[in-house]
Amino acid sequence: MIDVNAYLGHFAFRQLRHNTADGLLKLMDRAGIQRAVVSSAAAITYRNAQSGNEEVTAEVKGRGGRFIPFAVLNPAYAGWRDDLKTCHEQFDMKGVRLYPRWHNYKLSDGACRELVNAAAERGMTISIPLRVEDRRQQSWLVDVPDVDHEEIAVLIRAFPKARFILVSGSGYVNSPLGRQNNGLPANYAIDIALLSAVMASEIGRLLYNLGENRIVFGTGMPFHYPDPALLKVEVLEASPAVKVKILEQNALRWLGL
Amino acid sequence: MPVASDVSRRAFLGTGLGTGALAAKLPDSWGPLKGAPVIDAHDHMSHHSRSTWMEDDRKIIDAADRLGIDQLCCSILPPGRPARPESFRECNQMMSEAMKRFPGRILGYCFVNPGWTRDALEEIERCVGDRGFIGIKLYNDYQASEPVVFPVVELAIRLRVPILHHAGHTSWLQQSQPRISDGNHFSELAKRYPEAMIICAHIAGGGDWEWQVKALAGAPSVYLDTSGSVIDEGTVEMAARHLGVERLLFACDGSMTASVGRIRGAQLGETDKRKILSENMQRILGRRVG
Repeated sequence: MIDVNAYLGHFAFRQLRHNTADGLLKLMDRAGIQRAVVSSAAAITYRNAQSGNEEVTAEVKGRGGRFIPFAVLNPAYAGWRDDLKTCHEQFDMKGVRLYPRWHNYKLSDGACRELVNAAAERGMTISIPLRVEDRRQQSWLVDVPDVDHEEIAVLIRAFPKARFILVSGSGYVNSPLGRQNNGLPANYAIDIALLSAVMASEIGRLLYNLGENRIVFGTGMPFHYPDPALLKVEVLEASPAVKVKILEQNALRWLGL
Repeated sequence: MPVASDVSRRAFLGTGLGTGALAAKLPDSWGPLKGAPVIDAHDHMSHHSRSTWMEDDRKIIDAADRLGIDQLCCSILPPGRPARPESFRECNQMMSEAMKRFPGRILGYCFVNPGWTRDALEEIERCVGDRGFIGIKLYNDYQASEPVVFPVVELAIRLRVPILHHAGHTSWLQQSQPRISDGNHFSELAKRYPEAMIICAHIAGGGDWEWQVKALAGAPSVYLDTSGSVIDEGTVEMAARHLGVERLLFACDGSMTASVGRIRGAQLGETDKRKILSENMQRILGRRVG
């Protein structure tokens, strides 16, 4: 299994357990997850996100490929071009995570588009967490809404050759991102962390609408328990072959591994 | 009473995919739950104003089957609130019908608006006394510690049934529910009525769960249901540490895989999980008069 949605380090507004490399590995082992895409949780609120990338690099060093590090970059902050180069060439990071709401920019901003283009040219995957915390529980200091689906759709349309993985989102089936024949390039995948597998069964509907190659396994750990995502795959009404795609094969392709 | 299959029961304790395999290799041992019904202490049936209500009700039963949930304690809320007496009576009539459609599987909470004191008390007497409802459901019409709620609490004490009370604590979005109750309101109510069985709803669906847990720490008679869509790691463990597992009740409130997964992922012993999933709510249900 490959988890496309995991984190290391501290988060500003809540204590995370299992947020060191050792801790996360124990959680992964308990859940049977072999590899995880990780980025810095601290970089979500650091002014200089690169410090978080440096922390993650130090943390995953020598971990035998269990972690697939992604860089958190803020195109509204000075030096992101240098940081991108460092993260890719020195830190061997395979992708970029964007937090437009937390970092106070729009996906349509010129600098963001330049960053997406530069990362895509390097073969890096662009990951967009739509939510970090449920808005109802956010600190009195911040009021950060989820990333808007329409805004993502515009970005995706503008970069048909880039690879995007959307994580910690929901409500896709009622938005342009999850509709069948939505006119968007098939250049994005969606993780299951916050999708339903029973009742409304958003996972099942997205498999139908987008195809079985575009749904990927993601937990959101250690923000989240990994078990809900595991359980969703268990109870999902899909063939074992489709489940294997969700759990591993799709991630390999979307991560360019 | 129907009992979920062994395979689906494993949803609670197993790590089916954690072995690196698919569902076919789910572990065989789930000992602590054997023979104990898994009870969802907070869920809902659909109001019949929804054109898909029958299909929606069927879906929640199907989900319960797949996840190994034996009984669901449900209420029906009206689409328009605050509810007037004719509105909450209609909801409870629908709930009564659902209990008949799924006998032994769906247990009913009687929903009332305590602002209509006489009508609310009569409705509770009718539902609990004559129709076999297992408790009372209150929403956000009033905060739990407001005097208008007291007659309902006193009746619940007399009938020995629980009150499941909507809850939340948030720094934002408070405007949409200005009279929502939080842990402090329940603590205040519990000091006045320590013998009442108050259930604070959805720790994982009412905002700042750490705040809620800490606020409830000093109110030992208040229970906490574990339902909600938020799957923050450590929620159940913190609640168990501060409140004790005896005060936690497994529940889904419509978030089925999140709520089952939350219990499965919690780093608690199997005896503790058995209490949360079954024994604590069984004990509450066993206190009912008649």
